[in-house]
Amino acid sequence: MKIEDILKQVNEIFIDTLDNDQVIITETTTANDVEEWDSLTHIQLVVAIEKHFKIRFTSKEIQSWNNVGEMLTCIREKGV
Amino acid sequence: MIFKLDDTFDKPFIVSSETYTGFIKLFKDENPLHTDEKFAKTKGFKGRVMHGNILHGFISYFIGECLPVKNVIIHSQEIEFKNAVYLNDELQFKAVITGIYESVNTVEFKFYFKNAASNIVAKGKIQIGLLK
Repeated sequence: MKIEDILKQVNEIFIDTLDNDQVIITETTTANDVEEWDSLTHIQLVVAIEKHFKIRFTSKEIQSWNNVGEMLTCIREKGV
Repeated sequence: MIFKLDDTFDKPFIVSSETYTGFIKLFKDENPLHTDEKFAKTKGFKGRVMHGNILHGFISYFIGECLPVKNVIIHSQEIEFKNAVYLNDELQFKAVITGIYESVNTVEFKFYFKNAASNIVAKGKIQIGLLK
């Protein structure tokens, strides 16, 4: 799947998880850019993404992400 | 991870008079459906309907006290009430692990409560985190 297609699906997950249909994420988005993206929401986002794409991350992978783009790359590298 | 997918937990609970009166004392919900036998019967129930949220208390006990680890926190719980629960009902709680997300130390359960007639009175999902 192309990164932009993964981004679209991840954006829908953000909208649903954050209960905010105004959220628009890009590859450069970080948690600091999204008001509702706190530590507990982060867990919910990761769980929702793992479920949606039927993948599993490691804690090391999650800790390595500096922005949404790095998360998208990680998702794609898992064969999505 | 101490938990495995499909791990199952069973726990009996009784909606005792102590639990019922304690709930009312703490939360002041004296709606006649819960406190007036005649009123509840006119609404089609066998008697006073126990507060559904008493079951949330049982879930809290299960997560906090019945799991093999104490370093837990509830992230979320969802419950659907299917049948009324009455005073002194004996409930069987069953929870099954349906998701493990090691990257974020998170475990999901599906659960139900059945009454003595084996009818499901409530069911739902719980998500917990394992604290480091």
